[in-house]
Amino acid sequence: MKYSTKHMNISLIRHFLNISIIVIISSLLACNERSIDGLSAPTFPENGKVFMDDFTGDLIYAAFGGSDVKAFQVDYETTYNNSRASMKYEVPDANSPKGAYAGGAYFSRTGRDLSGFNALTFYIKATQSATIDVLGFGNDFGLSTYQVAMNGLSVNTNWKKVIIPIPDPQKLSGEKGLFYYSTGPINEKGYTFWIDEVQFEYVPDLGICTGSIYNGEDKKIPSAEKGSTIRIEGTQAIVNLPNGVNQTIAISPAYLEYKSSNTTIATVSNQGIIQVLDSGNSIITAKLGDTKAKGSLELSAKGTAQIPTNQAPVPTVEAGNVISLYSNAYTNVPIDTWNTRWQYSTTDNSFIKINNDDVIRYYNLNFVGIEFSANQINATAMTHFHIDVWTPDPTTNPNNIKVMLVDFGANAVYGGGDDVSHEITITAPTLKSNQWISLDIPLSSFTGLTTKAHLSQLVLSGTVSNLFIDNVYMYKTVSTPTVPAPIPAYPAGDVISIFSDSYTNINGTNLSPSWGQTTVVSQPKINGNSTLLYTGLNYQGIQFGSNQNVSSYGYLHLDYFSSNSNSLEVFLISPGPIETAFTLAVPTGSGWKSIDIPLTAFTPVALNNVFQLKFVGNGNIYLDNILFRK
Amino acid sequence: MNILYTVFAITMISLSMLLSGCEEQAVQTLPERAWTLTWSDDFEGAAASSPDKLKWTYDIGTGNNGWGNSELEYYTNRPTNVQLNGEGQLVITARKESFSGSGYTSARIKTQGLFSQTYGRFEARIKTPTGPGIWPAFWLLGDNITEVSWPQCGEIDIMEQRGQEPAVTHATVHGPGYFGGNAKTKAFGLLTGRFDTDFHLYAIEWGEDYIDFFIDDFLYQRIQPSDLTGEWVFNKPFFIILNVAVGGNYVGYPTTGTPFPQSMIIDYVRVYKKS
Repeated sequence: MKYSTKHMNISLIRHFLNISIIVIISSLLACNERSIDGLSAPTFPENGKVFMDDFTGDLIYAAFGGSDVKAFQVDYETTYNNSRASMKYEVPDANSPKGAYAGGAYFSRTGRDLSGFNALTFYIKATQSATIDVLGFGNDFGLSTYQVAMNGLSVNTNWKKVIIPIPDPQKLSGEKGLFYYSTGPINEKGYTFWIDEVQFEYVPDLGICTGSIYNGEDKKIPSAEKGSTIRIEGTQAIVNLPNGVNQTIAISPAYLEYKSSNTTIATVSNQGIIQVLDSGNSIITAKLGDTKAKGSLELSAKGTAQIPTNQAPVPTVEAGNVISLYSNAYTNVPIDTWNTRWQYSTTDNSFIKINNDDVIRYYNLNFVGIEFSANQINATAMTHFHIDVWTPDPTTNPNNIKVMLVDFGANAVYGGGDDVSHEITITAPTLKSNQWISLDIPLSSFTGLTTKAHLSQLVLSGTVSNLFIDNVYMYKTVSTPTVPAPIPAYPAGDVISIFSDSYTNINGTNLSPSWGQTTVVSQPKINGNSTLLYTGLNYQGIQFGSNQNVSSYGYLHLDYFSSNSNSLEVFLISPGPIETAFTLAVPTGSGWKSIDIPLTAFTPVALNNVFQLKFVGNGNIYLDNILFRK
Repeated sequence: MNILYTVFAITMISLSMLLSGCEEQAVQTLPERAWTLTWSDDFEGAAASSPDKLKWTYDIGTGNNGWGNSELEYYTNRPTNVQLNGEGQLVITARKESFSGSGYTSARIKTQGLFSQTYGRFEARIKTPTGPGIWPAFWLLGDNITEVSWPQCGEIDIMEQRGQEPAVTHATVHGPGYFGGNAKTKAFGLLTGRFDTDFHLYAIEWGEDYIDFFIDDFLYQRIQPSDLTGEWVFNKPFFIILNVAVGGNYVGYPTTGTPFPQSMIIDYVRVYKKS
């Protein structure tokens, strides 16, 4: 091969042909003796024709980079079956200043539905016996997802019909790459060949098509490295032609469907890219259509998986204040896809479980589109975007993760001039490696996202190539809790309660001792449940009715809520005073947060003789179910 | 099959009112014939075992001049060439391998000396092999071949195929004055599909002075004494043969594109007499 399909230079676009399709009405075997059930003739779509007496449809020809750009011409002299015209190819001599070889592709700008055909056929002859390096279809000068190549075709001075089977016609419902060729001089000498009557057709007596990977062999990779990617090679199809001969063709990996026997060890993308996820063994096999492909890959991977060992923090925002895209904690809205596989995206993904919690794993991340345009999200009432992220990759500056939200605007469709988006870049110290990071990004920070009624896309990108995500949702903060704190279920005998409607509280406790604070203390009821509210907290104490021995208790439990605090500590105090602070995460989003603080966290406080609690911070804090428990 | 053939153009012969013309009905209306099973083999048995020795015997070796046809294979009775597959089917496999001076091996089994019958319905459900030079067949030979030799004994080829034409099957009779290149033959082609991709039912219904050839119960060839240029030798017992030949004058020779190994899979063979 003298060209690369991925990075080809289009050195010449020579033919812009818009010729109406020539309908050829051919009577199909008027007289036959066939009458077996199930052998009805297929319907023949009319757009299989590529070059009969002229180009059909909206074909463009482009020569491959480095080739003789004038190698191809339409010829009116040497034609098959005395038809009007044929395609003539002049292969240059070696070292010709015009180019090193002849090669190019014919592609349709709009694409063709070829799913009703089973082969590309044409007639070919040459000025001498020669071997054409490659002929095929599926080269569209783009991704060329479904490329087929017949290599090393022998030709001579007689017209001969060539059949290049379509491995799986179902895949070609919108194929743009209709025909391509590439070949060089023979013994440094050029020659000429002609091709005519190029068309996709249904060849009724084409035999069974069998796919293969690794050229049909059972390959072993005994020491694959965890985290590495492996491209499946040697994807082929063997088809028995109507003359009984087996023809091997090279096919794109995308024609096959892949299976990994152990998806926790390795996954395979539909492009045939294996991602080695963990140490262990997996056998990769493939199918072409419904038929098992020959060949396999037995993979033995070594190394430790770089995946989270614990699940992401369970969200605490009340479900009523959430629009969830991906979380086990909520009912999620429909998402079109978690990987749009946009052009130039190398990202692949798998859906995995960590401690039974569903997590999306992205690898080979450069950028990934997440689309929900079919069920757009109206986030006008929401205040925050939340996502939990985990990466094993370096996160020191300037490494980053970027989060972009896209709104399709008033017309609710892509384009039209009203689409808006904004991207937020997350860096250290917020970003850390090997631990879950909960990002709560105010939607107001997405300053370019001037409309939020038709959110349709989320785009993740950054410098990290491995990214795990969980709990993707929008939520709104509320300034007061709308429901009471969760009712504690500990047995009364295991509890010393300071403030709770569920237990008998220590008699004589002062919920607002005068320690010089400016905090205003009140006890609003939420749905009849007493709640402690600190408005405008600077600090605030609680003086127990009597000193308590909690040395046989395990935890200080409390429920708290704050939409506007960004600093909150709780102190446990024994006489001296001996006091130790424990930091509480605020704000709490838009729901109660329950926390059980191990009493060991308050060392060196004398647990056998505690008598006060103190809260220090800012904002408005709701508290409930303040108790010691076993 | 056991003398020199020459490949010749097949002339389509109109058979009867029923079959002539271009617009046959999808379903033929044929006279009802009631049949009673007289002999059969469903090829039940363990995988890799040999076919029932009470029903089948073997032709071994290369015969005389490649069984009269310059065939290339060496016929064996090894399981690698002929065996049950454990799923109620017999598999005859042609292989490309050096064996006793031949470049290919295969198998040819027959009921000679074990079973023969005059008239009735002979049928076999077969998936045939393919590829240039591959020549599968399901056929009958006259019991008296040992006395009168070929072609006087008569030969009825219920199915013969050339692997380079996977969509075509042939029905043929050979006898004195009409054999080899002059045999009475007819080709039947599938418009869509091929014989190697699915099982098909190959059958004859044979009575005094007629032989009707069927593919999947579709009558496509009737041969009567008046169709022949020689003596009608088919009013006497015949035995059954199944084989896959490689190369020879009828089929031509394998090419580099011929897939090997190639297997003929026989689901069953059944013989009936008129009730």
